Amino acid sequence: MKCKYTITGLDCPNCAAKLSAMLEKEEGIESAKINFLTEKVTVETSLDADAALALVKETAAKFSKNVVIEA
Amino acid sequence: MKKKIKSIVSHPLTPVFSSMLVLIVALLLRPISFAIALCLFIAALALVGWPVALDAVRGLLRRDLLDEKFLMCIASIGAMCIGEYTEAVAVMLFYSVGEYFQERAVKKARSSIRSLMEICPDTATVLTAEGEEEMDAEEVPVGATLLLRAGDRVPLDAKILTGSADVDTSALTGESRLRAVTVSDALDSGTVIVSGMLTAEALRPAEESAAARILSLVETASENKSKEENFITKFAVWYTPLVVGAALMLALVPPLFGLAPLVECVRRALLFLVVSCPCALVISVPMAFFGGIGGAASRGVLFKGGNVFSPLAKATHFVFDKTGTLTTGAFSVSHVIAYHGEEQELLALAAAAEYGSNHPVAKALQNAVQTPLQANAVRELAGKGIIARIGGQEVAVGNARLMAECGIRDPRVDAANGAILIARDGVLLGEIHLSDTVKPEAKAALADLRSLGVKELHMLTGDAEAAAKSVADSLGLDSYSASLRPEDKYAALEEILKDPKNRVAYVGDGINDSPSLARADVGIAMGRAGTDSAMEASDIVIMSDVLSRLPDAVRIAKKTVRIAKQNIAFALAVKLGVLILGAFGLVGMWWGVFADVGVAVLAILNSMRTLRKG
Repeated sequence: MKCKYTITGLDCPNCAAKLSAMLEKEEGIESAKINFLTEKVTVETSLDADAALALVKETAAKFSKNVVIEA
Repeated sequence: MKKKIKSIVSHPLTPVFSSMLVLIVALLLRPISFAIALCLFIAALALVGWPVALDAVRGLLRRDLLDEKFLMCIASIGAMCIGEYTEAVAVMLFYSVGEYFQERAVKKARSSIRSLMEICPDTATVLTAEGEEEMDAEEVPVGATLLLRAGDRVPLDAKILTGSADVDTSALTGESRLRAVTVSDALDSGTVIVSGMLTAEALRPAEESAAARILSLVETASENKSKEENFITKFAVWYTPLVVGAALMLALVPPLFGLAPLVECVRRALLFLVVSCPCALVISVPMAFFGGIGGAASRGVLFKGGNVFSPLAKATHFVFDKTGTLTTGAFSVSHVIAYHGEEQELLALAAAAEYGSNHPVAKALQNAVQTPLQANAVRELAGKGIIARIGGQEVAVGNARLMAECGIRDPRVDAANGAILIARDGVLLGEIHLSDTVKPEAKAALADLRSLGVKELHMLTGDAEAAAKSVADSLGLDSYSASLRPEDKYAALEEILKDPKNRVAYVGDGINDSPSLARADVGIAMGRAGTDSAMEASDIVIMSDVLSRLPDAVRIAKKTVRIAKQNIAFALAVKLGVLILGAFGLVGMWWGVFADVGVAVLAILNSMRTLRKG
């Protein structure tokens, strides 16, 4: 399943690349793409919608407290 | 009052200013009591640095030793340790202020690009049994009746049920031209009703409507990375470890051999850590292309990715489809050959016979003359022409096959080469030649392309030789190929692509030339606002059918590529310059901050030039 969220609070594309690498390491997330300029994160996941959102939020919080994920 | 205090406390620059104050006090107290001053230096650093430190800890937790925030902390704490108190606090201050401005610049860039793209309203007025109802555009069901008044934007793709109006599609096409629409005409979302009032049936949900499709195309476009972007991303991966490695060497190697004092070397190495963030590099290039995509979109030109700019900027050959691209697709009378009687009489007869027909040829004849004649007993023979009675005589207007049917045998019939033949009571009267009208702006647009460095202009067409030649001559094309079947067009394009020096742009209308659009170095579909086939096969979609958008697109591409390259060169040059000067101890640590966030901000501002015209 493909999920798309809004992501705000990232400092630069380099951080975006790091966070997407972190997301891809998580169980249940096959791929994660962050578009820094349009503030969108697209996740390919085997989880259901709620679990996927929770996981993405949790991982983002581990990365930086400024990053906010919204469905 | 409470609110005011809260907003001051939560303002992102509050820690910066309070830290600055503490720093000043520390500097003033330093001659009096070093111990108090030291405490104040630490407090100043903590005030501005704790959010950075928090993220640094998060970086450490995921074992990212090259995290930007972590390196900044090391640099700052390192400076403290070697007694450079002021510098330690100043570096963190500059960094935080720089980050703040960088964020503002990115935000500004994002919103100016988004505002260019705000072409569709969020709400719709729907007519229900109870009356008018305001609704979220996304909730309007297909088939609902929309009410559209002057000044409204069409919220979803719709078909007019009642009324007529003048509409402006410039938000979609970049072309401000009023168009009159009436019952059963289609309206794309994003169209503005200039005058009049309409009711219309919703054809597609909001997220599938033209405006939404264009928006999502532009948004995903920034994911198709350009050559320059890929280069810088790869470079960034190596950049940080290299600079951090160099910092370690600089700090340890010279003192080891007794070449320089350890403290001085560490001081210089700390500057390297500050410069080691690749942010300015990685942000500079995508920002330029994002700006280019947004700026072009506001002028009705959709680039499908950052990777499309460079091939268009470098195009040496432009290959055009003829009908609908160079020409309007509407026919007009080019000349008349009369064997008997006057040319005007021939036109009048033909126009009268074709009076009721909707065929493009009939339209051309009706536009050519105001006929006083009236036809009756009109018979339309599909694929041949028309037979009618005018003034008591039988008039046949059509092609060679119609003449054969009327029993006319004349060598001139076979030699007519696609012209319309006219016969009265079995006598051939003459021929009317039609041609496709060249778009009025075509010549200037093509000249403009040449001035931008395009070397050759070619035309491919399925039309007969004579028609092709007249268009090619009037536009001053370098060459043309006529009488081509669709598959021949592809082969003709291949022929031009064979020479590896040629960079070929193919311009078509996207209806039946998808293979060519896909095969060329750049495929440009024209005048197909919002249709799927054109959007899929081409690299660039020009929303209007106006040819002068082509040189505009080339200009935007050239400018965007230039700005992206400037950004790379500037960021690399400043970083390298500061590193070299820093290695010899010629610049202080704050230069490192400028090389990092300062350059990023300048690169973003430079990128915003892609949004401006010219």
